[in-house]
Amino acid sequence: MNDGANKKYMKKSEIVTFGIGLFGVALLTGWMPDYTATFFADFAFKGKGFDSDTMSGIISTVFLVAGIVGAVCELVIGYLVDNTKTKFGKVKPWVGFGVVPLALISMLVFVAPNTNNQTVAIIWMFVIYSLYTAFCCAVESPANCFGSLCSPNPSERSSAISIASFLRSVGQSGGMVVILVVGLIMKAVMGQQQFKNAEAQGLDLIISTAVCALGIILFTMIFFVNNKERVPFTQEKVSLKDAVKVVFTNKNLLMVSLTKLTGCGRGVYGTVSLYIAVFLLGSKDLKLALLLPMGIGTAVGTLLVNFVLKKFNTKQTFILFCVYGASSLAILFLVSRGIGFNDGLIIPFLILNFFCGLQHGNTNVTPNIMIADCVDEIEYKTGKRQEGLAYAGYGLFSKVASALTKGFGPWLLYTWSGYAVSTNASVAYAQQTDGTLNKLLMIYTIIPAVFVVLQAVPIFFYDMVGEKKERIIKELIARREANGEAKSEG
Amino acid sequence: MAKKNAKEFNFKLYAVAVFFAVLAALVAITYSTYTARYIALHPDRVAENFVDTVVQNGDGYNAYKTTVASKNMKYGDFIRKYYMNPLIFRDEAYTPGTPTDAMTGYNDDSFKGEKSLNDDGTLQGQLIDRMYPLYEELVSENGWDNYDKIYTEYFDELIKARKEIYGDDYLSDEVMFTVLEANVLTYGQTLTGTEDTFDENTGIQLTKKQEGVYQKLFGEDYKLTVKAENEKAIELSDWLASTDEAALETYGIKADDVKEAKSFDVTVCSGDEKIATVTVTVVKIKSSWYVDNTVTDTSALYEFYEIG
Repeated sequence: MNDGANKKYMKKSEIVTFGIGLFGVALLTGWMPDYTATFFADFAFKGKGFDSDTMSGIISTVFLVAGIVGAVCELVIGYLVDNTKTKFGKVKPWVGFGVVPLALISMLVFVAPNTNNQTVAIIWMFVIYSLYTAFCCAVESPANCFGSLCSPNPSERSSAISIASFLRSVGQSGGMVVILVVGLIMKAVMGQQQFKNAEAQGLDLIISTAVCALGIILFTMIFFVNNKERVPFTQEKVSLKDAVKVVFTNKNLLMVSLTKLTGCGRGVYGTVSLYIAVFLLGSKDLKLALLLPMGIGTAVGTLLVNFVLKKFNTKQTFILFCVYGASSLAILFLVSRGIGFNDGLIIPFLILNFFCGLQHGNTNVTPNIMIADCVDEIEYKTGKRQEGLAYAGYGLFSKVASALTKGFGPWLLYTWSGYAVSTNASVAYAQQTDGTLNKLLMIYTIIPAVFVVLQAVPIFFYDMVGEKKERIIKELIARREANGEAKSEG
Repeated sequence: MAKKNAKEFNFKLYAVAVFFAVLAALVAITYSTYTARYIALHPDRVAENFVDTVVQNGDGYNAYKTTVASKNMKYGDFIRKYYMNPLIFRDEAYTPGTPTDAMTGYNDDSFKGEKSLNDDGTLQGQLIDRMYPLYEELVSENGWDNYDKIYTEYFDELIKARKEIYGDDYLSDEVMFTVLEANVLTYGQTLTGTEDTFDENTGIQLTKKQEGVYQKLFGEDYKLTVKAENEKAIELSDWLASTDEAALETYGIKADDVKEAKSFDVTVCSGDEKIATVTVTVVKIKSSWYVDNTVTDTSALYEFYEIG
């Protein structure tokens, strides 16, 4: 590779502030879906006498519609990003200016109208959450694709994406810390019982949302001030039809996106984690204890990927982590079966949970680096640089995969496993048969392991690595230098 | 040229301006939502909420969460301190407020017999069923205003009933809360009735349809509404003369803490028909309002129906 390809472009602080920006975005976007569902279901219209069955059904539909809005917005925003040509770049304006309405709309999701009309309440939920989803796409999608624009040097770019992905994964759980701290402060100020009363009115959620909304502003502004786009954008206009075609016709981009679909069952462990906490650890309150080692493992894994990428290319890294991930889940299954569902399993289970979490670092980082490489390949082939659409395409597949997981997980849990529901009003969770407990364990381990293997399959057909990648990078740098010279002569 | 234009936009100034503008907007939205939603800031809604909790489900137990009894501690902690711990640590020198960490109570696992260790919920269900008639009798006779009598008689009986069913002396606050709260729930369902409900995944029937006392009185699709009216400011000296200062002290409240007192006539209606009216006294401590349960008589909320 020539000097241009190895040149360092980014200040060290830029790598950190890119991560801080993604942390801020994830802080709010990680907070919103679950807590919005809770707010809509339990607090928004408390005491209004609305039919609870109707409201529960409607809330699912609100999220379904928002999912469709989100999928459409991913592509539209991706297209618009690629057609944005400003003096600040193509991505920064979306993040820097879009974050203001996003923060305010997020807050308004938690300001329910004081109405006794159920129809008005339902319309409000659809409108406000769809608006949130649209604004979320307008900021989150561009922020995620900034990595491919921060440096023309693929190695520097990969490091930046890796560190930013780590901070993003931390940010996604930040809301849990915010609500904990807000709760502690409210308890100290209001007293225990008054806090419980305020909590019963959803006030802790409202304050926590304000904190997360302010967080996204603070952190993205740090990013907005300090970070620059360094890969020049191309000037050609692209039609929406041609742009969407890119997502489905570039083989490498399609393969990376397909990993989301083939690996869609990886997330079913989340559906059953509550029951693993109840039947294995002995209390539903210990769900956090169950997910914490995995979360720490994920964060460590995100950093670990960066080191592995220095030894192996992206394709090898992805496949290596998939093999590791499936193996660790299989070991967790075998150890659990060997020890049995008793107190002796708790410690080994939590330790192995940490090791199972390491694989998630790969799915947080490597695909983002691969997409950045695909953007280079698309530019090499077409002369057009389309970060917006490339990341939007991946986002679209992610959303479809997420919908499949949400359908598949409950089916496995409630139908396939033979899970018995408690019929006694004073007993929260009924005793389960050994067969059901084993199936719950399988949903947590073996079934995700199968999907971890499946998600590696498309990557066998991915070839933007090695000599091909080096050649394309060299050629692009040469083209950009030639363009620069032509412009300065002009 | 493009570089020069980019310099004209002051990123730092924009960032600072946006941060403070959004901060101001978020504070304004949060403050207005908080003040609108937080019931304790509105004396009329505190009075309404208190009566509504009692009347909708016969639940005088949870209604105490908005009273002066819960001002300084969690209502559950108040019950633990004055009614549960004296029984759990009955062989120790426990007085309300004494730390229990160094004490050995009947909540120690060593008091659990075979039946306690192996109970899958069946014996607990029996205990709940066994205690319900006493609960119903206590509430039907006295309502919840005299909570001291309810807790004392109910928990005394609970110790005996548990020993008969489980054959050991184990007793914990969890056991006591579980049984009591299950009885509170059943009492409420006796009033409101229950529907046939099925688990949507397994089809197992969770509850059977049962006509409630309220349905018999007011029709199947009855709706009870609660309205606070006739707001009256009470002179603090008048309030002080009527309130139970000794009870307030057990709640950790001094008379001086109260800055304002008011009363509301809270009316319960089924459709246009008035079925009960109670006068609720509320007091303001710092910026929040609480029901003064020591002077509020809720008996009318238990008298317009008969159970059984």
